[in-house]
Amino acid sequence: MTDLNKLTLSEARKGLKSKKFTPTDLVQSCLDRIKSFDKKLNAFVTLCDEEALKQAKTADISLPLGGIPIAIKDNYLTKGIRTTASSLVLDEYIAQYDATAMKKLKNAGAIIIGKTNLDAWAHGSSTETSDYGPTLNPWNTDHLPGGSSGGSAAAMAADEAIVSVGSETAGSIRQPAAWCGVVGFKPTYGRVSRYGIIAMKSSTDSPGPLCKTVDDAATLLEIMSGHDPYDATSIEEDSWKKPEIRQNLNGLKIGLPLSYFPSQIQPEVKKSILEAAETLKKLGAQILELPDVLDPKYSIAVYTILQRSEVSSNLARFDGIRYGHDRSFFGTEAKRRIMLGTYSLSAGYYDAYYLKAQKVRTLICQDFDKQFQKVDAIIGPVSPTTALKLGATKGQAMFGELQDMLVEPSSIAGLPGISIPCGFDKTALPIGFQIMAPQKREDLVYQIAKIFEDNTDYHTKRPKL
Amino acid sequence: MKITPIIGLEVHVELKTKSKMFCGCRADHFHVKPNTHTCPVCLGLPGALPVPNKKACEWCLKLGLALNCSINEQSFFERKNYFYPDLVKGYQITQFQKPFAINGYLNIEGHKIRINRAHMEEDTGKSIHVDGSTLLDFNRSGVPLVEIVSEPDIQSAEQAKKYLNKLQQIIRYIGISDADIEKGSMRCEPTVNVCLDDKFYTPLVEIKNVASLTGVMNAINYEIKRQIDAYQSDGITKNSSNKTTRGWDADKNQTFLQREKEGSADYRYFPEPDIPPIIFNKEQIEEIRQSLPVLPDEKIAQYKLLGLSDYDAFILADTKESAEIFDKIISIESSREFAKFSANLLTGPLKTIKIDINKINPDYFKKLFDHKLDFSSTVIKQLILDSYQTGLDPLEIAKEKNLFQVSDTNTLEQFAKEVIEANPKAVEDYHQNPLAIGFLVGQLMKVSKGSANPQTGKEILEKLLK
Repeated sequence: MTDLNKLTLSEARKGLKSKKFTPTDLVQSCLDRIKSFDKKLNAFVTLCDEEALKQAKTADISLPLGGIPIAIKDNYLTKGIRTTASSLVLDEYIAQYDATAMKKLKNAGAIIIGKTNLDAWAHGSSTETSDYGPTLNPWNTDHLPGGSSGGSAAAMAADEAIVSVGSETAGSIRQPAAWCGVVGFKPTYGRVSRYGIIAMKSSTDSPGPLCKTVDDAATLLEIMSGHDPYDATSIEEDSWKKPEIRQNLNGLKIGLPLSYFPSQIQPEVKKSILEAAETLKKLGAQILELPDVLDPKYSIAVYTILQRSEVSSNLARFDGIRYGHDRSFFGTEAKRRIMLGTYSLSAGYYDAYYLKAQKVRTLICQDFDKQFQKVDAIIGPVSPTTALKLGATKGQAMFGELQDMLVEPSSIAGLPGISIPCGFDKTALPIGFQIMAPQKREDLVYQIAKIFEDNTDYHTKRPKL
Repeated sequence: MKITPIIGLEVHVELKTKSKMFCGCRADHFHVKPNTHTCPVCLGLPGALPVPNKKACEWCLKLGLALNCSINEQSFFERKNYFYPDLVKGYQITQFQKPFAINGYLNIEGHKIRINRAHMEEDTGKSIHVDGSTLLDFNRSGVPLVEIVSEPDIQSAEQAKKYLNKLQQIIRYIGISDADIEKGSMRCEPTVNVCLDDKFYTPLVEIKNVASLTGVMNAINYEIKRQIDAYQSDGITKNSSNKTTRGWDADKNQTFLQREKEGSADYRYFPEPDIPPIIFNKEQIEEIRQSLPVLPDEKIAQYKLLGLSDYDAFILADTKESAEIFDKIISIESSREFAKFSANLLTGPLKTIKIDINKINPDYFKKLFDHKLDFSSTVIKQLILDSYQTGLDPLEIAKEKNLFQVSDTNTLEQFAKEVIEANPKAVEDYHQNPLAIGFLVGQLMKVSKGSANPQTGKEILEKLLK
């Protein structure tokens, strides 16, 4: 009964149901793993070992996630558990209520094993700006895991939990999933309630799963999704349901946007994505080159202005009166963003920055509408490179935005997307590719990802720790 | 020197919806134990999100329509960013570019006061300063507020008061708020300056902390005088950066400087990303318009058409409740005479007591009206009051107390003889001066317990005393 921690969700469920092992065995196995390796990896900010073991004893395994240890990004409010957003401002903050997505996961029987590290306030794509120190990439600890959901992605790659959740505002699920060689499923904006997720950029924040397989991620999305009366931007639909699995991709048109292969792209990344396209073609899809997709570089400016503006307002409530620590506990990155956002919203600058950015956002949405008249889905690289080295963010104020360039447009347009493993570079760092579809078309994303995964074995590879 | 005061009013009205603007917490907060009507949303806890209260939005629209405003079919909320300890999120959710209602007006005695906007927002918490420390109560945080901004069309403190009275009356008519200035459910911030000789404008002053209608008038009058004096001594006129905020000290009866350079405040408004735009289509707006009651001005006009005096019409239309009582009574009979008769009773004997519309029986008014010749006006007043208080038929009461007017000459002669016998001095007076008959008629009424027909009684007395 060794290595239970390495199981996928569906494997773990089977084992629990057939009584091969108990929830306690499963939780203990993950905790052992964390105790052996997390001092180094630093994927967790807070561990809930005692409570998890206690819950394991009474777990109801008939529930969809009964007895399953889950790692939660530390920007999800978890009642009674410290919730920091990896910022010292909230170092001592105990959440007073559960995020809606959290509540749904708990109701499904999931056991919180711990809270995972992120870039402080989710501001970044490296997990290096966490006030609790960087998380390291399990594939090579000299490298970054990506971010902001770097803790959850690393926890999955290192088998420290069975499933995990994160949140994406512009790449924060897909990019760390790609860099850590796991699956990250970013749903349509509004598909999963934002209620109880510490707000970053409210207009694109999308909570979602990071898992070891496409199917696991889809199962979590089924549980987390559904209309929430506490979130006015939540889609007024019941929970999303997995569609039928396709036997082939006949009749499906998949677009390959040329502008998603900028000159600075790492050649191995480009090669892997083209190979993935080839695989999809063999499975029956028609691959169409899209020559006129808006250059994703425009998204950087749009995202930067809108994100900074919203951040400057969203972080105002941490005013030193209520949450233990005052504003001097904000890190450099948060301060920089607050200042830039305050500036871009100021009288006399609003039209030139915020309003202009909103207009370009509309153009980006329209561009996707146009492309989706030609193709059913779009694929491309998630990140121009594999995981960069620790310290890569130093002196790079725009690090995150440049890293996330290829996921920003679809985030800005609120589209669903997934990152799945599709190769390795010569230093054995994982490569991921993304599948994007029109709003609310998670079914297409899932079907393409699932058939790709079933016909490849990249997702079965794990780093040697 | 020609002096023209220029006054604009910003009025905040707390809606009496059951729940708060963006969460399910109870909205009432007056005399409630501090911090008991709160939740993650109105405490602004991390991750909490606002969901707009539909009823509050509809009520804001309703008020906008009552104030003759145009409605923006698509409007949205915005964030007004500023720091204050009782502002939990560091921003207030309000409306800025696209309020629900714009470009309305109110007629104040033939003078049109334009209304710039009526928009929806949330109230802040309350800071309570005790012994050098500050306590925070968030029961009020997130209570729905409508802000009504007038154009600077008001020209005197008296007119400001009338505008506020009318606003209050309309708000209470449509039943969306108590609009009680003393309790803080209606708050008013006048902006005042003065135009001198049609040429010079004194700097703008916004007055805060005015807590009563009298306070509004006193503050405006004080400020007009202070600004004229200031201009005469320093000659400073209005410019884009010398607007100031002054507080009203009701004890000292004067304003004092609170903040200078109001022009530099930058609230960094931007559309609230947590709330999608709010859309009311034409049908929905029309539906809300249909739900409006007949408003006071129209009510007064209706009553005057029924032949009521200006005074009666004004009194009866003053509140929705009093108008409803009157309307209920006159629903039974449409003649102008009956309307006037009933109005007199309501504004006369029934004015002094608090009337419950459910206890009003129009039949009783009708019965009295039909028998009005059988009673003196004093008796009618007494009967309507007794009937209201006991719930009994006024004619039954009259019968029981024997109050029907007696015109029967035999009975009246009996009474008259009694009076003459008992009042020899008055009889003597009458022979000296016929006008003294009044006293004897009075005595006759007394003896008959008010039931005598005074005219017939008088004639009989005169006949007996010849």
